[in-house]
Amino acid sequence: MKIKLAALALILTLTSCSAPADSPSGGITVMGKKSDMEKTYMTAIFDRYEDLTGKKLTLIEVDDVDFEAAAKERMGSDSPPDVLLHFHNADLDDFDVKDSFLYLNDQPWVSELTDSALAYCLDADGNLLGLPFWESSVSGCYYNKTVLDSLGFRPAATQAEFDTMCQALTDLGMTPICWPGDGCYWMVQFALDPVFADDPELLERLNKNEVSFSDIPAVLSMARWIENAAHSGWLGDERAYRSTGWDGISAALSSGDALMAFIWDTWFYTDFKPGKYTDDDFALMPVFMGTDDSGTYEGGNLNMMMVNKRGPRVDEALEFLAFCATPENYNAAFSGISTVSCFKGQTTNIQSKMVTDAAASLARYERVSTASTRIIGYSADDVYLACDVMLRGDTDAKGFVELMDGYRIAAAKAQNAAGFQ
Amino acid sequence: MKKWARIFLPWLLVLAVCAAAVTIGVGYYNFISRQIYEDSTAHLGEVYSQVNRSFGSFVETNWGLLRSWGEYMDLAGGPDTAVDYIRQKQDHWGFSDFYFVSYGGEAIDLDGDRVTMTFDGCLDRMVNDKKPVMAGEALPTGQEVTVFAMPTDGGTYRGFAYDAIALSYTNDDLANSLDVDAFGGAARCFVIHGDGRVLLSTQSGGSVFANYLLYLDAASDLSQDRLAGIRSDWANGKDGLVRCEINGVSSCILYESVGYQDYILLAAVPQSVVSAGFLTVRNVTLYVLLAISLLIGVTVVALVLVRSRRQTRESRMEVKYRELMFDALSGSLDDIFLMLDVESHHVDYLSPNVNRLLGIDVNEALRDIRVMGKCAIDGDVIIPKEELMAIPQGGSIYRECEYMHQQTGERRWYRLTVYHTGIRDTGKDIIVMSDRTVERQMNKNLQEALDAAKSANEAKSNFLSNMSHDIRTPMNAIVGFSVLLEKDADKPDKVREYTRKITASSHHLLSLINDVLDMSKIESGKTSLNVDVFVLPELLAELNIILMPQAKAKNQSLATHLKGSPPEELIGDKLRLNQILINLLSNAIKYTSVGGHIDFTVAELPSPTPQFAKLRFTVKDDGIGMSEEFQTHVFAPFSREINSVTNSIQGTGLGMAITKNLVDLMGGIITVESAVGHGSTFTVELSFALPERDGSVDTPRHRITRMLVADDEEDICLDIRETMRDTGVDVVTVTSGEDAVVQAVDAHGSGDDFNVILLDWKMPGMNGVETARQIRAHIGAQVPILVLTSYDWSDIETEAREAGINAFMPKPFFASTFWQTIDPLLGDGVPQSAPPPEPGKSVLDGMLFLVAEDNELNAEILTEMLALEGAACEVASNGRQVLEMFEVSVPGRYDMILMDVQMPVMNGYEATRAIRASSHPDAERIPIVAMTANTFAEDVKRALESGMDGHLPKPIDMDAVRELIGRLKTKKGPEDEGGKQ
Repeated sequence: MKIKLAALALILTLTSCSAPADSPSGGITVMGKKSDMEKTYMTAIFDRYEDLTGKKLTLIEVDDVDFEAAAKERMGSDSPPDVLLHFHNADLDDFDVKDSFLYLNDQPWVSELTDSALAYCLDADGNLLGLPFWESSVSGCYYNKTVLDSLGFRPAATQAEFDTMCQALTDLGMTPICWPGDGCYWMVQFALDPVFADDPELLERLNKNEVSFSDIPAVLSMARWIENAAHSGWLGDERAYRSTGWDGISAALSSGDALMAFIWDTWFYTDFKPGKYTDDDFALMPVFMGTDDSGTYEGGNLNMMMVNKRGPRVDEALEFLAFCATPENYNAAFSGISTVSCFKGQTTNIQSKMVTDAAASLARYERVSTASTRIIGYSADDVYLACDVMLRGDTDAKGFVELMDGYRIAAAKAQNAAGFQ
Repeated sequence: MKKWARIFLPWLLVLAVCAAAVTIGVGYYNFISRQIYEDSTAHLGEVYSQVNRSFGSFVETNWGLLRSWGEYMDLAGGPDTAVDYIRQKQDHWGFSDFYFVSYGGEAIDLDGDRVTMTFDGCLDRMVNDKKPVMAGEALPTGQEVTVFAMPTDGGTYRGFAYDAIALSYTNDDLANSLDVDAFGGAARCFVIHGDGRVLLSTQSGGSVFANYLLYLDAASDLSQDRLAGIRSDWANGKDGLVRCEINGVSSCILYESVGYQDYILLAAVPQSVVSAGFLTVRNVTLYVLLAISLLIGVTVVALVLVRSRRQTRESRMEVKYRELMFDALSGSLDDIFLMLDVESHHVDYLSPNVNRLLGIDVNEALRDIRVMGKCAIDGDVIIPKEELMAIPQGGSIYRECEYMHQQTGERRWYRLTVYHTGIRDTGKDIIVMSDRTVERQMNKNLQEALDAAKSANEAKSNFLSNMSHDIRTPMNAIVGFSVLLEKDADKPDKVREYTRKITASSHHLLSLINDVLDMSKIESGKTSLNVDVFVLPELLAELNIILMPQAKAKNQSLATHLKGSPPEELIGDKLRLNQILINLLSNAIKYTSVGGHIDFTVAELPSPTPQFAKLRFTVKDDGIGMSEEFQTHVFAPFSREINSVTNSIQGTGLGMAITKNLVDLMGGIITVESAVGHGSTFTVELSFALPERDGSVDTPRHRITRMLVADDEEDICLDIRETMRDTGVDVVTVTSGEDAVVQAVDAHGSGDDFNVILLDWKMPGMNGVETARQIRAHIGAQVPILVLTSYDWSDIETEAREAGINAFMPKPFFASTFWQTIDPLLGDGVPQSAPPPEPGKSVLDGMLFLVAEDNELNAEILTEMLALEGAACEVASNGRQVLEMFEVSVPGRYDMILMDVQMPVMNGYEATRAIRASSHPDAERIPIVAMTANTFAEDVKRALESGMDGHLPKPIDMDAVRELIGRLKTKKGPEDEGGKQ
């Protein structure tokens, strides 16, 4: 029934979108997920563009579940969108990026972008694929500072300190880390970021299938850390860490049942439900998962506006992007939005105290989200499956990494990625 | 002592010893632990005091450096000249950076890079008090350092106005300087502020603690009061030692003031680590002591157990052996031993002979004593429980009961003696069941014996009375007639009458004495049988000869019958059999009135084995008979029925007793059927062995093919026919003399004469003699005629021979007798008859006897008596003399030797053997006859064994002498007869 309803919605959407494309006004066509297109800052910039330029935008909103297929079809059709809103993840490779989208390295607004935002939008060759225009966040280890202070602890500065602290907290009968092991495995990509972000050559060899995760000591170190954390009780008891999913994180943190979580700051505004503890009780420190002694933060996962080089209105599309990258426009759009800044001149957005307090640390240890976006065939779901095998005792850390490799290589082969054929 | 005390006291003692040992052990353990704690904490204090002094020296050194460098800069008018030196010395001193610091907290390093320092809130100390400061800093690089700052007179470096100079060390480097190798790396050392904030930490992996006091509050078991005390100590810079548990680990926390600012040097070490060495020594010591104690304990226990087990084993063996011995003892006794628990009535012991004595399974009885109650005749329990319970300690009861053997049904009497005993509080009843059956039987027998003795005494009295009467009666006759004989010596008729009566009385007296002696010998068990081959017809003939006169004297018929074909030769004691039959037949004659009838029948009975023959001898009379009461003890000694008839008949009352005993001795049975006034029938059944046969036919070769038999008794005719059946002789029988004449005449007329004619003497109508005469009248003298009779034919012998009868045969008819009789008659075709004795001459006439007799009177009597018979004798006074006289005699001089047995010098047996062994020509053939008062069968046997030919009892009966000598002469034959001439 759900499938039928979704198909009907897609037909209706496509039908409704086709009219503006053929409208005599000649406005550019912007295509994206319905939920993305309906973000307040997105509708704000769309409205402001139309209001201030008098030009019309044709918006093609597609249900999230159908978006990838619909976007590919539309991009290959006779009436492709001029601008495509898309996250920079592995699925983007399905669009034949090089032939489909215009590199934007020479656009005047590039200097307006923050380093982390710019880095996120570059492809493996350093080509800027789109304009990041999205609410952003910082992923790291958010800890209950109130509790840790009361216990005489301070945030860890090294992997060793973090492990020592976890053990000390465990010794005190507490659960140091909330580990949403039931299907949520973004944590692993945080750990992998420094491995590949700090060594692009290694990433390239991995994507050419010249090396595998199993060949990389840091990846095995990460696997062993997870295995040790589970066995040492740092993740709580097995029932808890294998049954906690997305919905359980808030309760664990707000109640104090768990003192830390590898999450992002905007989560506190979107999903966290205050309890015994509120977001004011939390602070940010790097994620320590065995790959980098100093820890790591992951920068925001941004939606970017990409220009279809084969679109009918490439110039107008570039103009639209330039409009969006103008300080007065993006400040107007992001006014009051809780987000990490994508633009250096972004002043009207709201940044969390957790992030600002960790500004110095963030400046040193934040990495661009690399693992999930740059590793060909990488899938958080696959990592979950592999890790679950280890956590239920059916394999060890080495086996876990081999399973990650297996899933990854299989996915890469399915994508016909070079080096995997 | 109470039972519970006996049981629990040893255990209480063991528990007390254990408790004392545990108390001593725990006390020692606590003492050692306390001592170890004191020593180890003292050691901990010493170690960290050393660390503290070392750290203080380090701090002092740094401040010394800063002070000297500051003074140098002041003197040099600026830092420039000093900077190069400081750069050179940086690696030497190991500091990470050198800073010029303003009182505002700004600082630049030697390269001119600016940093902002907070000095951890201690800036005022330097600014206001001009005192050096040590503080932790987090550099913009994230590195955590400890800064040592020293106020100076101020100056400018690279345009930066400074008020103080400072050195920084990374916290990792400083922490390393605090780390000690002692305690196996398990100790954590901190430099903290007085409020607990952590400056430095040697914790593995880095310091995770911001405030150790807060951590202690969360992780330790310290109470708030103690925490407050520690907080106070730290705030006041006091030293101290706290023992507590941190996350469940017993730990020692030692703190000492560093001596600078509010810094405290704090060491946290697990107690097990602090005291590790001591604890090891303690534990090893305790283990050794424990091991030694255990070893000693185990050894003692083992020794006790071994000793106990040995004692137990020995005790068990002893008990086992005792049980075995007791079982063996009781098994061989007829006493049953039983031990019962008084309370439970459970059987603790039951001697195994209960199975033998009562037929009860021992195990079954052990399980349930009531099983034994089944044997009791008068009840279902041995002794009621209530009765057992009532027996006092040490007491006993007795009871006598009859029990029945459960398998054989035999009843036996037991005397139960119950002893109640007890060891400690356990009561036991020991029951001894003694078999009293024999005793009771003995008592009964004694009573019966007493009764019997009384009865025997009475019988003896009766016997003596009888004997007195019986002996006095003939003695009276002998004495009386002897007086009369002397008085009437001149009256020959009177003399003969008197001597005849004296002789009769003497014979009666002699038979009386013989019977008494016989009975005495039988009763003393000294009687034995003289078993030899004998010829039944001879025995019957002798009986006839002996008894027929007696019967004839009373005008009685004494008929001998033969049933079946009894074997003629038997093995047995002829003399005893003769005695038995004579007793029965003479009794029959004696107790049958004049003219009565006595039938003597010999019948062959089926024999179970061919080697034996079973014969039944029946003596039937129609005499006075016996009462039923008397029949019950007719075979008892000295038993005579008392009535008017028997009182007139002489008798000892021993005859039937002797007969019965002899029958018993020969393995036979004797029965009697009688009724008063209707006669008696005595039946004797005896078995005799048969002599071995060589298989040859006994029937002699003869020319007889036809035979005529005449007897008025049909059964006799049938018997004769049956006897001659296998001899090839055709037997023609008739039942009267007339028929016999007809048969003989007819046969003669047809030229087919009978080869022999056998006639009964006494037949109705024509008797045997007359019949013979008639037959001879018709057929002549060619055919032998024999007369078959049960009677003494001597009175008719002359008449019979004149009538043509060739020979006589005694009844019953036996084939062997027949052939012996007929053979001589068939020799030359003329019937031969034995020459009749010369009338008026004794068979002894003309004989010379050698007589051995030591008694002169007897010798004289014998000499006179032999002389009366026409014989002579020479007398020797002992055996030696007889032997000598014989040896020197002319061969053929003596016809016979009469040998006394009991003689001086040499007895009769020895003399006989010597004679037989001598070289005298007559040594082997001369008849030697014993002449002795030793009249028993064994005496006869001994005489024959010594080589004698016959036996004559004393006093000498001349009739017996004549009979024996006649027989011996016949046996010796005509050659020997002629030999004398």
